[in-house]
Amino acid sequence: MLKLRWFLILFVVFIGANGRTLFAQVSPEIQLGARGVMSFNTNVAAHEATSAVNDFSDTGLLLGFRQKLYNRFRGQLVIGMQFPDANSDLGQVFFHQTFLRVEDKSNILKMGRSRVRSALIEFPTLRDDDALYFTDVLNPFSSGENTEDNQYGNVFELAHIFGQRTWLRVHGEHFTETPVLPATTETDFSLNAIGFSLQYRVPETQIWNQPFLQQIGIGFNNFLTDRPGYTSQTDKMLKNISVSTILNLRPDPVHFWDFRVQGIYNAGFREIESAAAFGEFARAKATAGFASLRYLYRKLERPTLQLALSFGYKTFPDLLNNTDQLQVVANSFYRLGENFDAGFQVQYSRNNGDLAGLFGESETRFQFGLVYAIDQSWNKQFSDRNSLLNLEHGYIP
Amino acid sequence: MNRRDFLKAGAAVPALSLLPEALLAETTIQENKNKFPHALQPKMDGDVKVFELFIDIHQQEIVPAFKFHTLAFNNQVPGPEIRVQQGDKVRVIFKNKTELNHTIHWHGLYVPWRMDGVPYVTQMPVMPGQEFVYEFVAEPYGTHFYHCHWGTLLHMQSGMYGSFIVENADDPIKKQFPYEREYTLLYSAHDTNFIRNELNGMLERMKERMYLMKNGRFDKERFGVFDTKEEFVKAVENGYQPPYVVNRRAPSELPQPNWFTVNGKSYPFTPNLYIKEGESIRVRLINGGTEEHYLHLHGHDFWLVADDGVPVPQPWQQNTLRLSPGKTLDIIIEGKNRGIWTFHDHDTRRVTNNGLYPGGNLLALVYEDMPAEEAGLGMMAKKMGLKSLPIVALDE
Repeated sequence: MLKLRWFLILFVVFIGANGRTLFAQVSPEIQLGARGVMSFNTNVAAHEATSAVNDFSDTGLLLGFRQKLYNRFRGQLVIGMQFPDANSDLGQVFFHQTFLRVEDKSNILKMGRSRVRSALIEFPTLRDDDALYFTDVLNPFSSGENTEDNQYGNVFELAHIFGQRTWLRVHGEHFTETPVLPATTETDFSLNAIGFSLQYRVPETQIWNQPFLQQIGIGFNNFLTDRPGYTSQTDKMLKNISVSTILNLRPDPVHFWDFRVQGIYNAGFREIESAAAFGEFARAKATAGFASLRYLYRKLERPTLQLALSFGYKTFPDLLNNTDQLQVVANSFYRLGENFDAGFQVQYSRNNGDLAGLFGESETRFQFGLVYAIDQSWNKQFSDRNSLLNLEHGYIP
Repeated sequence: MNRRDFLKAGAAVPALSLLPEALLAETTIQENKNKFPHALQPKMDGDVKVFELFIDIHQQEIVPAFKFHTLAFNNQVPGPEIRVQQGDKVRVIFKNKTELNHTIHWHGLYVPWRMDGVPYVTQMPVMPGQEFVYEFVAEPYGTHFYHCHWGTLLHMQSGMYGSFIVENADDPIKKQFPYEREYTLLYSAHDTNFIRNELNGMLERMKERMYLMKNGRFDKERFGVFDTKEEFVKAVENGYQPPYVVNRRAPSELPQPNWFTVNGKSYPFTPNLYIKEGESIRVRLINGGTEEHYLHLHGHDFWLVADDGVPVPQPWQQNTLRLSPGKTLDIIIEGKNRGIWTFHDHDTRRVTNNGLYPGGNLLALVYEDMPAEEAGLGMMAKKMGLKSLPIVALDE
């Protein structure tokens, strides 16, 4: 055993040294993504004192490296950290992205910690999780202590692109189970969710081809739970189906309007008739819908002003206590400089039935914030799959 | 193919094709003729020679396994050669098949000013799908070229250049140095990463702009086009941010070429110059790129006979010349020293392919009547398993 270990060490050293000598010229593309989201929040909740919070959650840093591999493939490493919500129990910094990706023109393999495929589309909210209960398939293993449990996990994903616009994704995830077990306990990182999705979507670079249908998709997320009283894997599986579409109502370069909607049906477990905890909330039968109408004014070929109005409704037919929830989000963003926006958002949420006890009866949140997001690359070596050259003039690996 | 086969094939293909024996083979000599710009055949309309040029996006393979997107006249980089007689009436019908703007500038020719191809000065740009007709009389004689004058930094290194040769029946150079064969070499330098990023950015912008223009919604600030300087200054005073301040979406760095081509190819696929003992050849050198080239010929001096197409009063001998951007130089090489001789940029940064030496604009002067046995190889080459002495290789 010792010999084997020494051999492995020597082998790794040899490979490392050899690599440096032979391939010194191959320097990767370096990508830097940074996003700062700072907001001053005022929360007015029913039966609670009004609170004010200086919130910088969702602020994060992404570092990527990618290069050409032999033949037609490209490889990429991404490491990212994010400042999670206060009281999330995730520490000061959360490494939300740490993955490797290998891809060619039509196939992508991704492995590591990353955003889980819990939503088909994104919505125009200040933060990614502002309408999470409506926009994402929820993690039934989470205690609900933080939203990141629903957004990030250990992901294994294969994607195949038919033509240029039809995406088939098959994915398996390990969703975080919270509360996290003590470090002394053997931690299980086995897959606890599998799913697939099929989407048609027009690449962003072709938006000025004036498509009306920007995206349409369907997704299936299945969680492999420990449902008490059942032995069959099928019975223990929590099944979710999502459908979505984005319509460019007026794909005009100056006055742009679009509408997006997503519905999520959670088949739920029929024995769950009340929701006193997040786990029950996520495992109860539910139907959620979320829709946004967005107006974007682009003065000089760049976003200048964005206004969005979103509405979400979720109902739980199996919960005995006549439970549902709704949310309205209105926001506006004004561009102060390249990639730098000032934003104002007001969101109202109401929870009825069991959810009034779980999340509070209602809350109105006013947020004034600044957002700075950059995406920069150095030592560029190739076009993205969705560049116009690759899409319309022949793909070059 | 397994890994071993792959390595064998990869090593064998470039080496075999460049052995001296292969260079002297008749098929190689014939294939080499295709490495020079094809002459565009005119149609006659009365006494006017009518040429048709179009521009489209094309994939250019500089060397095997490396392609990039280019802007190519008639799907060729460089564009086809236009060759006329001095005094010919010339009409060039230029069709823009891309979603970008273009013009054609006739570099070194005495065209009417409205035919000079400078956007917003002599003409409006030729917009996507549009056609523009250039008409002029071919003057003066000599070696000239044409290139795009819109977005010149990008469009020229993307491939929009071609030779324009005006012949003269009483050419003094031919009288002084009788020759039968001549070659045209167009040099360029390409930052393929810059080209890719810029082309993608411009294509995106143009999709948006063409939509607005079609709907009659031209916006001077959006397009960065003003009638007068005063109008521009006033716009800035009113809050307009020029593209060079904050609205820039192109790379902020100037291009740093990583590929150097002759007639659209890099070593080992650059064209070679074939000559025979006692023969004189004329080589027309055109720099359509942004870099200076210091071209050196081994084993010979050559005669510099024309500068910018104009015959020099007193040709002089040299073995290294300086070919600046936009320059054309004509040289005469006399076949006086049998062998295979390299002709290359002595700024050896340009003798590289994507940073790796050798590559770039390296090419060879080859005596095609050289006896094959002179290409024999030494003992070391035999021990290396080579069939002959390779004059070029892909690694140091």
